[in-house]
This record gives sequence, C-alpha cells and structure tokens, in this order.
Amino acid sequence: MTTKTWAITDDVAGWVVVVAAILLLAAIVLLVHELSSRRQKSWLIFASGLLAAACVALAAVRPVVVEAQANLVGPRVVVLADQSRRMKLPYESTTRLDRAGEALRRVVDHFANARSSVMGFSEGPLEPLSLGPDAKLASRGSRSDLSAAIRELASAAGERPRAVVVVSDGRFSRPLGDLEDPALREAVGALGVPVHTVSVADETPNDSSIRGVRAAGVAVAHQPLAVTVEVGCAGELDCARIPVRIRELRDGVAPAELATGVAEIKDGVGTVELEITLDRAGGRVLEISLEAPSGDQIPENDTRHMTFVVARDRIRLLHLAGRPTYDVRALRRWLKSDESVDVVAFFILRDSDGDEPGAPSFELALIHFPVDELFTEHLRSFDAVILQDIDAVRYRLTGYLARLAAYVELGGGLIMVGGPSSFAGGNYAGTPLDSILPVEQPQDDKPFDSKAFVPRYTEAGRAAEVTRPIRELLGEQLPEMVGTNFLGQARPGAIVLWEHPELQAAGKNMPVLALGEAGDGRTIALSVDSTHRLAFSPMAATVAGRAYGALWDGLLGWLMRDPRYEAARVEVVGECIEGETDTTLRVTRLPGMRGALELSLAPLTQAASEPIVRLIPGDSVEPVEIRVPGLKAGGYTAKARIGEAPPSRHDFACERGGVAWADSRPDRPRLDAIARVTGGTSVGLDGIDELPMPDATRVAAQREVAPVAPPWVWTLAAAVLLGVHWVARRNSGLL
Amino acid sequence: LNRRDALCSITRGAVACGVAAYGALTTFAPRALGFGQDGAFHPRVLQNAGRPLDGAYAGGLSRWSWELIRRTSAPARLTVGSVAADSTELLAEPFTVWFGAEAVAPLSDPEVRGLRTYLNLGGVLFVDDSAPEVGSFGRSVRQELQRVLPESPIVPVPDQHVLYKSYYLLDSPVGRVEGPSQLEAISSGKMLRVLLSSHDLVGAMAQQRGGGWTFPVEPRQRERAMRLAVNLAMYVLCLDYKDDQVHAEELMRRRGRVRR
Repeated sequence: MTTKTWAITDDVAGWVVVVAAILLLAAIVLLVHELSSRRQKSWLIFASGLLAAACVALAAVRPVVVEAQANLVGPRVVVLADQSRRMKLPYESTTRLDRAGEALRRVVDHFANARSSVMGFSEGPLEPLSLGPDAKLASRGSRSDLSAAIRELASAAGERPRAVVVVSDGRFSRPLGDLEDPALREAVGALGVPVHTVSVADETPNDSSIRGVRAAGVAVAHQPLAVTVEVGCAGELDCARIPVRIRELRDGVAPAELATGVAEIKDGVGTVELEITLDRAGGRVLEISLEAPSGDQIPENDTRHMTFVVARDRIRLLHLAGRPTYDVRALRRWLKSDESVDVVAFFILRDSDGDEPGAPSFELALIHFPVDELFTEHLRSFDAVILQDIDAVRYRLTGYLARLAAYVELGGGLIMVGGPSSFAGGNYAGTPLDSILPVEQPQDDKPFDSKAFVPRYTEAGRAAEVTRPIRELLGEQLPEMVGTNFLGQARPGAIVLWEHPELQAAGKNMPVLALGEAGDGRTIALSVDSTHRLAFSPMAATVAGRAYGALWDGLLGWLMRDPRYEAARVEVVGECIEGETDTTLRVTRLPGMRGALELSLAPLTQAASEPIVRLIPGDSVEPVEIRVPGLKAGGYTAKARIGEAPPSRHDFACERGGVAWADSRPDRPRLDAIARVTGGTSVGLDGIDELPMPDATRVAAQREVAPVAPPWVWTLAAAVLLGVHWVARRNSGLL
Repeated sequence: LNRRDALCSITRGAVACGVAAYGALTTFAPRALGFGQDGAFHPRVLQNAGRPLDGAYAGGLSRWSWELIRRTSAPARLTVGSVAADSTELLAEPFTVWFGAEAVAPLSDPEVRGLRTYLNLGGVLFVDDSAPEVGSFGRSVRQELQRVLPESPIVPVPDQHVLYKSYYLLDSPVGRVEGPSQLEAISSGKMLRVLLSSHDLVGAMAQQRGGGWTFPVEPRQRERAMRLAVNLAMYVLCLDYKDDQVHAEELMRRRGRVRR
C-alpha cells in the first residue's frame, strides 16, 4: 500500500518557516490594502505581487513530495487473566482458575491473527503469562484490581493495544460493582480501547460465607469491642438464620468462647453485631465461624482466622501482700507513681488468729480480704497478679491456685516476690501454681536462707532487654539482699537473670530472678524481699532511687509484652494462606542483641505439638526472613530467641482462602457493564468466537522524499515575478 | 526471726522490754537480720550534734515496735538504733524519728545535705517534741527544716488524711499530752515527708527499766497514743493504701459510726 503526501524540506528550521509565513501574510495584507485604497484598481500589480511573495516563500521552504509504502499487521490485543486467589474457588468439577486457563487458550486461538500478549493481574504489577499446552494458571494475591491493571497498561511505553480482553469471574476488588457508568468508564477506560470480557463462571454456588468482619474502633484490653460480622448466603441454600460465633485461640489451652449470635439473612446477606472483650494486649488470634446450612458447597469460607492487635490503655494489676514491709512500700510507691498502672491492692494488715488490735472492728480501718470475690469474679479483669510474701494456706488462697494458674495460661501475668511466706514458705510448693512458675520449689523443711548475699547477673541477665534499664544505671552492681527463698532449678524454657553466688540448685547456682512462659501467659519469680534497697539505700541514692523503677519497669514491661523489653520483633511478611506459597516470618533483632537466632513455631492449640524450629547462626543485625512451608489454617505462635535473651513472641493467623474467598458469587453483570462502557463485548466461555477482531495496524515499510522543483526554479520564479511586479508598479506611477 | 517467734519472745520478756531496748540503744550499725526482717518497721533515732539520747525515750521506740507486732501483721525490729544526719546509714531505711525536749543545735551543712537527700529519696522523718509545753525543740527543728527543704512549707495534716485511717480510725492526734488537734507536715503531693507532732507521742510509750511507764498518762489517752503510733507505722509501710477505692465506702460508713 502506497501513499503520497506533501511536506516541507527537512533541512529548513522551524523558525524559518514561521518567518516566511509571516512575511507572506504581511505582503498579502499590504497588497490587499493597496488594492482597496486606490480608485483605479490595478489587478496586475496585485497579482504579480501576490505571486512574487508566494514564490519567495516557496523558495525558502522548498516543498517536497513524500511517497510512503506501508504494511498492515495484526492488531495488538492484551489478554488479562484474573489470577487472584478467589479464582481457585471450585466450579462444577473444576476451578474458576482452570476455566480461566481454558478461556485464555481459546482467546489466543481466536485472536490468532492478532499480536496477543497474555498477562495476569491480581495485586501488584502485571505478570506476563506463558500458555503452554500443559501450563496451569497459578493464583497469586488476595485482591483482583482490574483498574490498576488497565492503568498500568495505559502508562506503559510502546504500542498501545487495540483491544483488551479480561478473563475473570467478575468479582473484582476494583472497580467496585455498584459504580455508575461514568465512574466505571473512568475506572477501566484509561486506554480508550474496547475492553472485552470473558466470564469463566456464571452460576452462583450454594454457599454461605463470612463476607466481612469489621470492628468499631481499636481493640483495647478489657474494653468491650463491637465486631460486626457480615454473613452471605447465596445459591439455593435455605438460610434465614445463621449462627455465628467468635473464639480466641490460645496456646496450650482450649479456645475462649467470646461471643455468639445469629445473623438474620435477607436478600442473601445479613449482619450480626457481637460484643467481645479481649483481656490480653498484643496480637490475638480470633476464629470467626458460622454454622452453615446443609448443602453448603464451599465450607472453606465458613471460618475466618484473623489477628486482632489489642492495645492497652492502662495496666490493671492485683497486688496481694501478706504483711506490710518496706519492700511492699517500695513496690506500692512505684506502682502508684505510674499513671499507666491501675493497681488494686490488698495487704494483710492483721492476722485474725494472733494479732490483738485491742479495739472493736468498727474502730479499725480494716476490711475483709475478699479472696473469693477476687479470684472468682474479678481475676480475669487484671493483666497481672503480684503475690508478695502471702501465705497461701493462712489466707485461703489454696483453693484458688488452680484458677490462678489457668488465668496465667490464658494470658495473664504473675509475679511472685520473695519473703518468708513466699514460694515453699508460703505453701505454694506442689500446688497448681507451682507448675507455672519458672523455677521449681524444693519441698524442704527450711524454705529460706537468711544469709545476706549480692545476686549476680547470669549471661542471659546481661543480654536481656528486661534488665537493660537497671544495668544502664548501676552496671552489674546490685545491692546486698538479706536472705532468699530456696528455689529449685529453672524449668525448661525459663530464663534466669540473677543467680545466687553460693547456693546451688541441681548443680547450678540457684536462680534468684527468673522469667518463664506458661501457656499464653508469663511468670516471674523473684526470690528476695530486698529489692526495695534499689529504691532506698546509699547505692540507690547514687542514681536518685531510679534503679528500683528501672528494674520493675523492665519486669512489668516484659510481663505485659512491651516491645521495648523484647529481644526481637517478629512479623509475618504478606499473608499466611493455607496451600499458597510459603509463609515468610521476618525477625528483626533489637540493637545490641547478639547470638544465634532460634525461631520456633507452634499452632495455638490446646494439645501440645512439636514446634517447627529454625536455627540461624551468627548475629547479623540485618532482619532475617525465614520461610515456613505448609502452614494450615489456624492460629500460630512464633517465638524468636536471640542468644541467651528471653524469647519474643508473635501470634498470627493463617487463613484458608482468606478475604479472597469471602464472597464466592461470580459477578457477570459487572463484566457486562465494563464491556458496555468501553465499547467492548461481554461473552461467556462459549462465546469467545464472538469477540470482534480489531482493525489491523498499519506499519510503515519504505519512504521516499522528492523535491517538487529544484531550489533554483523557485528562486528564478521569484526573481522574474518580482521584476514583473516592479515594472507594473512603475507603469502605474507608483515608483 | 519471724513475726510469731518475735511475739513469743517478747511476751516472755515483756517486763524487761524497755530495759532491753535501752540496752540495745547504740549508734546505728548494720546487724545480721533474718530473712523477712530487712523490710520490717524500724524506728531509728536521728542524732543531733552528738547529744546523748534519752534512754527512757528509746524504750518508747522499742515499745512502738512491740505494739506494732502485737496489734498488726507488720513485722518490726525491737532493737533501737540511732543514725547521724550526715551518715550514709541514714539512707539505709526510710523511717527516722527526731525527738527531743530542748532546742537542737544548728545542723551542719553535711547534715542538711544528708537530710535533704534522705527526704528526696522518699524517707519519712517523724519529729516529736518531747516537751511541747516548752516548745523550744519544735521551734528549733522547724528552723532547721526550713534550711533542709526551704521551698516546702509546714502545713497542718487534714483530718481526712490517710494517716488517721491507716489501721485504726482516729479523729485526732494525741500523745503524752493532748496537744493541738492536728499534726503538721511537709508533704510532697499526697505523701508526707516530714511529720511534726507537738504531743510527745514517744513519751506516751516510754518505759522505765523495770517495765513501768516513764510518764503518767491517763490509760485511755495512752491507748489513743498507741493507736496513733500504730497508724503512723502503717502509713510508713503502706503509704496511702487505705485511700484506695476498695476501702473507701466501708471506712466512711465505720467512721460515721465512730463519730456517732
């Protein structure tokens, strides 16, 4: 195919053309003015002047003839395949993804004469796909953002496609389904070409599912949180009322039932608002599930597992002391000085068996120790319990120790502070509480030692963030402690921070300060009752008494999982989806933390299970990413231990399908609307042959440029015509 | 030595208590303590310019500890020590008693600094005028306290202060003498740093070597003084514990009954 066009010679600068045009225009204006102002018209002057000016201009720009030969090639067509995880939903005997793969092959065959590019979209950038005969289309990502995919195509360099074909079930994350035509056109019309759509699923499955879970505000420990659960019911299921429940998954104990309710389904959707109260701060894994009616074809989306990050506005502490001492005084003074701590305290001021106040009860400022009320009604409302030198038998705690142990295993904190009536001296040995403490308790006739000593830091104590504040103040100096409870060896997994320089337990120096984990909770054992010397003593005075607060700030912070006192931060990179790619955990160690990294991962189940353990040698400060394959849906707890420091914990949820499977209904109307607003065609899998072929693309193959006349011709013509014009003007007496 | 053992031993030698206390009165020196005794209530006497301590009054301090052990679950040390204001040992424990009948000598600069450090660290100083009828001790101590804490005024302790309900429900302070209806204090927020008494509280508890009371006091008044001493000890050990909300309603109800 050949075409001819006119042009200006290439070697003339643009400004020359402009100047020539201006001069020509000016000459014409002058000639017209002169012609109209004279009584006797001189057409010869006008015509010769006009031609002379034109010839001067043409001599300057020298016009050429361009003869081009062009070929027609097949139009460029981009095929976009929806690769979101939703496409893995079953459809008849196969999946939507398999049907999309089949559709892609048919589309490419249909556009055999076109230049087709096949790309996958989900979230993130487009990915080119290769369509081998046995190639299976893989899924990726939980969202399917068609708007972003088309914008990416429009902004790409190179030839624009003449048409786009979208293969999907239509349940896009964007554009949304309820857009008006102008908004929809703006969302998918960035290319300005027809967007054809191929629906891979038209039939709505019989499926009830949890479509969405929304919380009204931020989850705060101990405060009720309204959670709205949206339940969908599609297909031919009979689902007027669907029961919904929320449970909290916990480590080593049964899940906690938080709330139940019933969603009333109307027009295929219903919501139920459930009020839950999470008592523990940090990442908590919730299981939201519905009781599906019979005939549900996709049970995988009946349960969602979600990680709720629970904040804490104040720490609620229960402080129980068996007798008032300077050690009790110091702890109370520090607790009351911290605005973020809400402390409820009960100190035994009078032992009714022996003390003789010499006054009737109404003259005493003493109240009954409400042990039953505390441990049955209110225990759950506290973040931690401090038992300080209080005898379990004398003050009737024995009957509640199992409950207290269960409270810890459900996520509560416990600190046992030393004293004659602590540990074995307080009859705690062999009780349910014994087993959750980080140290064993020897059942000996002599429960404590009175010899003064100075505790010393262990290797773990020197590495732990929990002791960093006090070490920054006092180095490794500690005040002399007057005696200690006898403690046994540390339990497996416990971390000893201080040890006795002389006393032994199971062949090692006896623990003095130890940290441990019990189920979801944490415990601290402190065998001495002289830490008040960190607040008030000549040594304390050297740092204005701040060492006491530094110690207890660290202990309480660690107990409450304050990130400042963890050795490392653990997080999940991306999502954790059953059956998808490996789950990636990123461990970032705090500055200064040295030693090998040991990551253990275990499910949040009641039954103990063998954890997955990864050991990363070295002590690089760079974040480490650890890939863990094959995680099933549920809750998990990851514990990262750096060197000798206490482990840091991160709970997270793994889902089956996740948000991508929340709504299983295909959306053919949305595909139709997208095609309509862009001038495309919407078809099903069987209608691919009906998709229109775009016009072929013209591609230039050869181009020849020839001057209309040699330059001297234009110059000569201009000279002759200027001469004629001069003569004519002279004859008319104008010169 | 645990609390129960201590009580038994004291019961056996109750008559000789004051004598023992007097004999134990020495310049403060670290002693071997049993486990659990490190945090026990222990009234130490603040030495002033090396003046000798009155043995009868020292016996009153021992009696104070004994009454605390007898009446409450709080542990206390029966031995009485004394400590100098410029000694680092002043910072060993958070409670010190400063009593006397005569005007005190001006504190040296190291003593002023020592007391200031003690109080700033959270120590409590109980100033008890043994001769409030004369008042020279009280006046001189007030002058010295102005040097120690120049920015802190001495103000009356209000009737509603937790000191009056830390163990017994009390209406007013009383010691060997009835004295004024209020104690005075230098406070930091809600916390009493220095408590000043013009009632000779220690004198009400003072015993002779033979076990008899040093000063004649009407028994009911002495009991009230004992109760105030117990409350003061409990305040030192528990601070504002009885101001906690869990106690508030019950204590208000009882106080109403006591006043009726």
